[in-house]
Amino acid sequence: MAQPIAASMLLDALHEAGVTDVVAVPDTHQRSLIELLQESADIRFIQTTTEDEAIALAAGLIIGGRRPIVQIQHAGLFACVNNMRGVAMDGEFPLVFLIGLLGRDVSKTPRDNFGSMVRLAEPLLETLDIPSHLLEGPDDVGQVVDAFSEAEERGGPVVLFVGTNTN
Amino acid sequence: MTDSDTRRMSRDAALDVLARRREDQIVVSTMTTMTPWRERAGSTERDLICVGFMGGASTLGLGVALARPDDDVWVFDGDGSLAMQLGSLVTIANASPRRFLHVVFHNGVYETSGAQPLPAEGRVSFAAMAEGAGYAKAVRFDDIEAFDAQLDELLDGDGPVLVELITQPTDAFFKPGTPATKPQKSALARNWQAVRDALAN
Repeated sequence: MAQPIAASMLLDALHEAGVTDVVAVPDTHQRSLIELLQESADIRFIQTTTEDEAIALAAGLIIGGRRPIVQIQHAGLFACVNNMRGVAMDGEFPLVFLIGLLGRDVSKTPRDNFGSMVRLAEPLLETLDIPSHLLEGPDDVGQVVDAFSEAEERGGPVVLFVGTNTN
Repeated sequence: MTDSDTRRMSRDAALDVLARRREDQIVVSTMTTMTPWRERAGSTERDLICVGFMGGASTLGLGVALARPDDDVWVFDGDGSLAMQLGSLVTIANASPRRFLHVVFHNGVYETSGAQPLPAEGRVSFAAMAEGAGYAKAVRFDDIEAFDAQLDELLDGDGPVLVELITQPTDAFFKPGTPATKPQKSALARNWQAVRDALAN
């Protein structure tokens, strides 16, 4: 059973990973983290109107020497497949994503859920050959730092699914 | 207004006007401006291309601008491209990069796929939409002399500034190339990694 993750723990993990900017389209699961980020003095919170924009904007930040993370909701993942392919994958941008799984039955694995947005998220990334990891509780927060290392080593995107609410 | 009533400038003449002001600006170009700009820009150390993700030039440029607020960033967008990511006008206005020039080449057609008309061509105004989104300034030109005469003043002002240029379509239909036969680094990856390294030095 997934356990809620304290937003402050995720914020600490972003600091530890050296994140400079969070590029975001609002996500219900991560709303308490968003509130902390909006008040953060040292991590810039940049909101976009679409997930396609978020990917391209984050790519521009990387070109300019910053270390962004993209924060979106699962529906946005389905919406931005072309920029995920064209920018993050073909462009070889080491982009890390935090993607909330709104509506997940946390007693089941995501792919055993009934709702298509939760159930199909991991298989979609498998189709795209993009590695993903599931944050199921406080013990998984260390994966944020690891995801940046993985993205840089492979020269491409890595996704962290936020499997439950932040609080 | 019918299309035959519309005055249009030459795309290449507009690029010449911009090239004459080129110093150390970071320039993001896309679609049919990429090659003619490269021919005019000389050094490509600060020239980024947006290829393979139509509509992304505006926010790619915004990301660079937010990372490097002391540099001027110019984005050469297309009308069809911007229409695909119209919300980026709101995103850019919200971020308010002060040294950001967004040039939209409005030729009224999807040129690379065979010159199919842009929806609402003859009625749509990207300058009006940018103004409504909250850009610091948005201006539309159909006359090359007027553009040339006012560009310096626009560059001196605070951004983000959008300049909509009403341009003539060219014969830039993209003919299919030879499919790749083995894995290779994309033009985008080669380009951005070189620009990143140049900016870091």
